Amino acid sequence: MATEGDQLVKLESSDHVIIDTDRKTAERSMLIKNMIEDLGSPGEEPIPIMNVSETVLRKVIDWCTHHKNDPPPSAEDDADSRKKTTDIEDWDQKFMQVDQEMLFEIILAANYMDIKALLDVGCKTVANMIKGKSPEEIRKTFNIQNDFTPEEEDQIRRENEWAEDR
Amino acid sequence: MSGRPVPQAVQATQQRNKRSLSQVRNAQMNGPRSNDKVLASLRATQVVASKPVLPAELLAMILDYLPVPDLMQCARVSRRLQEMVYDDTRWIQKLKAIGVWNEAEARQRIEDAMKRKVEAQRAREADEAKRTGVNLPGSVNGIAGGGRQHAGSVTLFDAGAEESKYRRSLEKPAIQTPIRRGTLADGFDDLTISPSSPGQASVKPWDPSIALRVLSEARSIRGRARQEFGKIYGALGPLHMNLARSKSHSDAVIFRTYRDPEQQAQILSSLKQFAQCDSALGWQEREQKLDSMIGVFENAVLREFEQGISANDVDGRMRRYAHVLVSLNGGNAGVDAFITKNPLMTRDGRMGNPLACLEAVAPGHVDLNPSRQMFERLAVMTVEQAAVIDRVFPSSVDVLTPLLSRLCEVMLSEYLTTLFDEAHSVGIETYVKAVSGTFEQALRFLASLKPTKASPADMPDKAKAMVTQCYEKHIDLYLAEELAVFTTKSGASVSHWEKELSEQEASTESYFMSNINRSAAKRDFLSSFKKVVMMPVNVLPAFSAAKPTAVTKSSANLNGAEASYSGGRPRSPSLTTGSNTPQRPGTPQAEAPTTELAAKAAIMNSRLEGIKSLFSIEVALDLTHLAKACIERAAIMVRMGGHYGDEAKEQCEAIFVTLLKVLGDRHIRNGFDKAIGHLGTYNPREVRQLKSKGSANGGTTVSNATGVEPLVTFLELVNVGDLIQQMVDVFYAQEMIATKLTDRDDFLDPAVKEKKKFEQMLDERVAAGLNRGIDVLMDEVEYICATTQLPTDFNPGGTTGASNGMSSMVDIGASDTAKQIVSMISGHTGMLTGTTDKNMLDVFVQEVGLRLFATLCKHFKRQRISVDGAMKLISDVNLYSDFVSSLRQKPLLPYFHALREMSQIYLVHIDPPAAYFSTNPKVKRASLLSTKSSPTALQAKELATIIADTQRYHGIFGAEEVYEFAERRADWYLVKGDVERAMYGVGCSIM
Repeated sequence: MATEGDQLVKLESSDHVIIDTDRKTAERSMLIKNMIEDLGSPGEEPIPIMNVSETVLRKVIDWCTHHKNDPPPSAEDDADSRKKTTDIEDWDQKFMQVDQEMLFEIILAANYMDIKALLDVGCKTVANMIKGKSPEEIRKTFNIQNDFTPEEEDQIRRENEWAEDR
Repeated sequence: MSGRPVPQAVQATQQRNKRSLSQVRNAQMNGPRSNDKVLASLRATQVVASKPVLPAELLAMILDYLPVPDLMQCARVSRRLQEMVYDDTRWIQKLKAIGVWNEAEARQRIEDAMKRKVEAQRAREADEAKRTGVNLPGSVNGIAGGGRQHAGSVTLFDAGAEESKYRRSLEKPAIQTPIRRGTLADGFDDLTISPSSPGQASVKPWDPSIALRVLSEARSIRGRARQEFGKIYGALGPLHMNLARSKSHSDAVIFRTYRDPEQQAQILSSLKQFAQCDSALGWQEREQKLDSMIGVFENAVLREFEQGISANDVDGRMRRYAHVLVSLNGGNAGVDAFITKNPLMTRDGRMGNPLACLEAVAPGHVDLNPSRQMFERLAVMTVEQAAVIDRVFPSSVDVLTPLLSRLCEVMLSEYLTTLFDEAHSVGIETYVKAVSGTFEQALRFLASLKPTKASPADMPDKAKAMVTQCYEKHIDLYLAEELAVFTTKSGASVSHWEKELSEQEASTESYFMSNINRSAAKRDFLSSFKKVVMMPVNVLPAFSAAKPTAVTKSSANLNGAEASYSGGRPRSPSLTTGSNTPQRPGTPQAEAPTTELAAKAAIMNSRLEGIKSLFSIEVALDLTHLAKACIERAAIMVRMGGHYGDEAKEQCEAIFVTLLKVLGDRHIRNGFDKAIGHLGTYNPREVRQLKSKGSANGGTTVSNATGVEPLVTFLELVNVGDLIQQMVDVFYAQEMIATKLTDRDDFLDPAVKEKKKFEQMLDERVAAGLNRGIDVLMDEVEYICATTQLPTDFNPGGTTGASNGMSSMVDIGASDTAKQIVSMISGHTGMLTGTTDKNMLDVFVQEVGLRLFATLCKHFKRQRISVDGAMKLISDVNLYSDFVSSLRQKPLLPYFHALREMSQIYLVHIDPPAAYFSTNPKVKRASLLSTKSSPTALQAKELATIIADTQRYHGIFGAEEVYEFAERRADWYLVKGDVERAMYGVGCSIM
């Protein structure tokens, strides 16, 4: 009998494509892990991941496969916000070189599937995108409506002049 | 790709940022905005359709990764983002990371603010009412009238400080009513975070002195966390970034701005603290950079500090750079340097050679002088260093504790380990002496320490813990060895004694009883024993050797006394000197009482020579000495406290228990058993024969005719046993209770239990022996009765005729037999006085009395007693009775009283009936004449009355028994008929 980690897990994307993967990989997602634990075993029935499309799901599974042997995150990592702010490793950096839409999809999927490490990587990538941009550029990048009057915006800027780089 | 380039990228983007910012501003101010906006919104709509929008919590998470400047850019993007960026918890968290957020202070401020707000609101209402001129029923209306924005601000302010701050910052550009100003007069509007003119922003004069104290001035205000953080960031942020960017310490701004090493240290430590809040990407590199900067700086300062140490420039360079190091990062490096360079640590050659303690000493001893000198030297130097520490280091840093701990770890531990290992290989006894001796010295060393200003209050405890740590690895072995030493030594001394005894057994032993006052001698002995026991620890040579000459002299005197005492007896001196050899040659003080005691012991021993074949008080003394030494050594270790202290205590108890076991089970019990065995096999006849033979042959052997020898021996034994028991008691009180090693009331305590057992054992033996002793005594009594009581004693006329009987009438007094018996018994009971407890003695004496009574009854019933002999009998009985009353045993008195009464039945003179005797014709005739009322009948009637009168005998004798006695009358068969007739009223008719 194959070990537990090698058990086959079927995942069903929002567009009803069924993707096979092994249990260990799938259990990088806390959502799936908890579900399997509740069921007792993966079972024949595919697990529906209704919020995630096939392409994104495949991407996510790619990431999980690469990281399937990572040690599980410990509780203290969560407690200290500083600890999680490590730099993105090379593989992840390449992994995240996708268009912005995909990036957001991945982040959303990671959030939905509860894959903490992937979510972190995604957020860091986005943070890197924001870094050094002007408000206008940020708005453009993230498709945000400017609801300030120019005066208001200037006021905020002046309020926070202390933070400006000198 | 993860590491290095990031900071540079940050620089680049930030520069770009500035440019684009101004462009945007320009565009907003002057440019054709409508066009842009339309296009932007078009683009936005397109994007909206295709791009997913991240939910707020994900955005917040992303913001966590952004450095502060970028956060502020984000705040300008939209209201939603601004809200997220301005969120107070984000900034509180940062302040907490720096370590300047004080939750209690924040709470206090909110309460104050609430109070002020209520007051301000009241003032505002009044003002409003005045202004509008209408005293409207509710303030709500008034607010409503004041304008929407205004009302909103007030309600929001009500909602909480955080919210209000946020709103207010939005509304700042709006025109503020005077009322509003009044509302915010609680200090919220005097934020002077930055000058408001944009032109000044980049060239804002930056005051280096602010950066020095900005951290200590930070306030914890809920809702103002961002502003407070702003102040700190404004002061330290640039320095931090500059430092992160600078290639080497030479071009970092801080080293150019601050020339003073103290200030440099302070700013570096501030930066280090500040860096804690930097959680944006790349913080690791920045922190590393900062750390390396601090490292470089620290090294430079350390070099100066060390130079100061080598130059011994205590108040100059050492002091200055120590303070710099402390303000930099707590001064650990400085403390380390100080300790490693410390003369205490470097001059280890002066520690002395641990093996010096073991050189040139007798086996089993250890010379603790070198180690004492070592400890004293250490103490002096440590006190010196403590003074230096006070001068060099600020009072916030405890240097002495780590210095001591290092000292203990490195120097002391090594020294001790070497010493102990060597001592152990030399001999176990040496080892135990070395361990407890040096431990005592170490404790003295601790006591001599002086705390520095910075020392924590529990410095002595800590120092003690350090020292005990050095001993911890030895203590288990030590305690085990201590017990082993005692067990083997005590066992050996008992065995030695036994061996000597068996050698001795061949030679003749003379039982010797001297007429000394035993209890006085015992008291005397015990008092000197107590003195020795109470004598302070003689394990150690005291640090201050006090006038040893006088003491030695007195001890010499005592030695002489001892010699003279033991001169006559060949055995005692050898034993005495053997057992009481001063254990340590270098301790004259301890010698004196020991020797005094030895002298007393010798006297005692000489007096108790008779029992030395059974057990020896010297051995007991010897054992207690050994135990005392062991327990005192172990008791020092009790002071270690904690777990090991308890263990040491237990071990002391174990030693005590072993002492009792060896003393009781092996020594005393054997002696008693042997003595009881002797008693059991005692046969007075054989011994007497043997003795008479011996006296016939040699004529010199002093045999005390009245002594039952084994009993004498045994009673002496009881005496000594009692003495030993009292000795143990004193020992227990002095060594175990007074030193708090055990609790007297704790009946579960092994030592107490064992002591009880010991006493019980002793009592049992004594009881068993006494029981046997009574048997023996009675055997002796019977023997004396059987051998010495002549038939003529009580019946002078019976065998030798009337003429002889007449002459013996003159001899009124007790018979020899009675005298012998009384003297023998009184000799033996007297011997017991003061030996065991009163109750036991009473029981013994009563038993003796009763048995004596029974024996006498039996004896008298075997005799034939004439009226003439009755006088003798009565005097005998009186003698016994006097003796018994001298015993002061109430219950015995009736018996002998009855005996006395009984003896009167022999005194009743009954004229024999005339028919039977022809010697006295007158009487014969008379009896013939009146058979009915002859004098014989009358006298017989009198006798019968006496016999039947049970009142006389207090119920001790029944009429039947007295009748039995009456049968022993010499003339019984002549008078029997008359007496019986008188008694029962029969016989008359028969006759």
